[in-house]
Amino acid sequence: MSEKAITILYIDDEEHNLHSFKASFRKQYDITITSSVVEAEQLLDDKDFCIILADQRMPVMTGVQFFEKIRTKFPKPIRILITGHTDIGAAIDAINKGEVFRFIDKPWDYKYVENAISNAYDIYKTREDLKQRNVELQKANEELDKFVYSASHDLRAPLMSVLGIVNLALLEEDVKSQNEYLELIRQSVKKLDTFIINIIDYYKNARGVPVVTDISFEELVTEVQATIQYLPEYGNLKMTTDIQQDGIFNSDVMKLRIIFNNLINNAIKFQDKTKANPFVHLTVKSTDTDARIIVEDNGTGIKESDQDKIFKMFYRAGATNSGSGIGLYIVHEAIAKLGGEISVTSKIGQGSIFEINIPSINK
Amino acid sequence: MEPLLNFFLIDDSAFDLFIYEKLLIKSGITNSVRTFNSARDALKHLIGQADSLPDIIILLDLQMPDMNGFEFIDEFDRLPDALRQKIRIFMLSSTIDTRDIEKAKASEHIIDLLPKPLEIPFLKKKLAI
Repeated sequence: MSEKAITILYIDDEEHNLHSFKASFRKQYDITITSSVVEAEQLLDDKDFCIILADQRMPVMTGVQFFEKIRTKFPKPIRILITGHTDIGAAIDAINKGEVFRFIDKPWDYKYVENAISNAYDIYKTREDLKQRNVELQKANEELDKFVYSASHDLRAPLMSVLGIVNLALLEEDVKSQNEYLELIRQSVKKLDTFIINIIDYYKNARGVPVVTDISFEELVTEVQATIQYLPEYGNLKMTTDIQQDGIFNSDVMKLRIIFNNLINNAIKFQDKTKANPFVHLTVKSTDTDARIIVEDNGTGIKESDQDKIFKMFYRAGATNSGSGIGLYIVHEAIAKLGGEISVTSKIGQGSIFEINIPSINK
Repeated sequence: MEPLLNFFLIDDSAFDLFIYEKLLIKSGITNSVRTFNSARDALKHLIGQADSLPDIIILLDLQMPDMNGFEFIDEFDRLPDALRQKIRIFMLSSTIDTRDIEKAKASEHIIDLLPKPLEIPFLKKKLAI
């Protein structure tokens, strides 16, 4: 985050005070001055100020009265009162009531004012940071809530399916059909296991410490291919690869594996069984600064209205054969963590192309 | 002898459609089960067949992509009275989320929430047969 200048509003009916203040501090702070309390309120409407300085003795209302008036509407700025010796009683009273953060004696001294502003800004910043943290925390809690809700469904649903199958199998007298039930149980358990692996991947990706190493895309792809080619869903899909790597590419192998695994698994899962030659083609072009990965298939494709939602957590596109809606979310998160981007082009019935660009991580 | 009931199963899980269709038929309370893997398709079917539709019982899953169980109920609410009167809806779900359970209980269109896996004696009790 860039260091923004501290914004200060200074109100004083004596113009020469305003100008001497501005002349002394304009290089350090972003200063707005006015001699009118009415104008000061308008200025507060238009701009966010960190600190308000007000003179106590002004003709329309005193500085303390002004602070009292604006306090509820503009609670964020830290209020500082400027007073002459004769008003010290009023200033102490205002501090004790919480109307002002501190007061500055007239005639003011440069160092003293600078110190007061710096202290006031510390308080302002601490409060703002706390607010920001609270917003982030609330968002994280909402996400966690949603996560627990969906995860508990995805953990429980396949188990209840298994229980349903067992109940049904117990009613069955024909022993031969038991094998059919066992096959269903196997599939259901497999589904549950996939979900658990996904959850662990998600967790490692979100919380784990990234390990950056020198990546060989050739090796990585071979490794991923080895784990998937015996999947029963694989069918007669043809997987081809075109990998060109020039130079050393550094990245987190764990995240890359998650990305390849999910995208290739999806291509297998959503292949179009009505097509004679279902394929998935993987292209990797990598230099020592960037890698471009393209996963193209002639599968069932993704509806246009779903294309911007598929990367959301637990969004499930389509009704048949759909997973838990976590795979592409994890892919998206992993790519984001690597500082890259993913895009999809797809046509229903024709197939999908996922394109990923990620930078090499400098060690 | 009670007349046989007509069931519609709405569930995105192919497993569960298979299991509960078999179970309902085996139980002897029905010989007519139609299955839908999408709530939207089921809704279209209800509207399309409004005139010829017999009295039916729907077992409706909750968590489904595209249109979930509660969204189906919202659409159901807009159907003509004559059509709605032919339909009794039970929600059939593995949810243990109290908000879901409360919401299902509060709905005037959902007779009850049946936990998965479906227990036939429990369903019979709810249907008073």
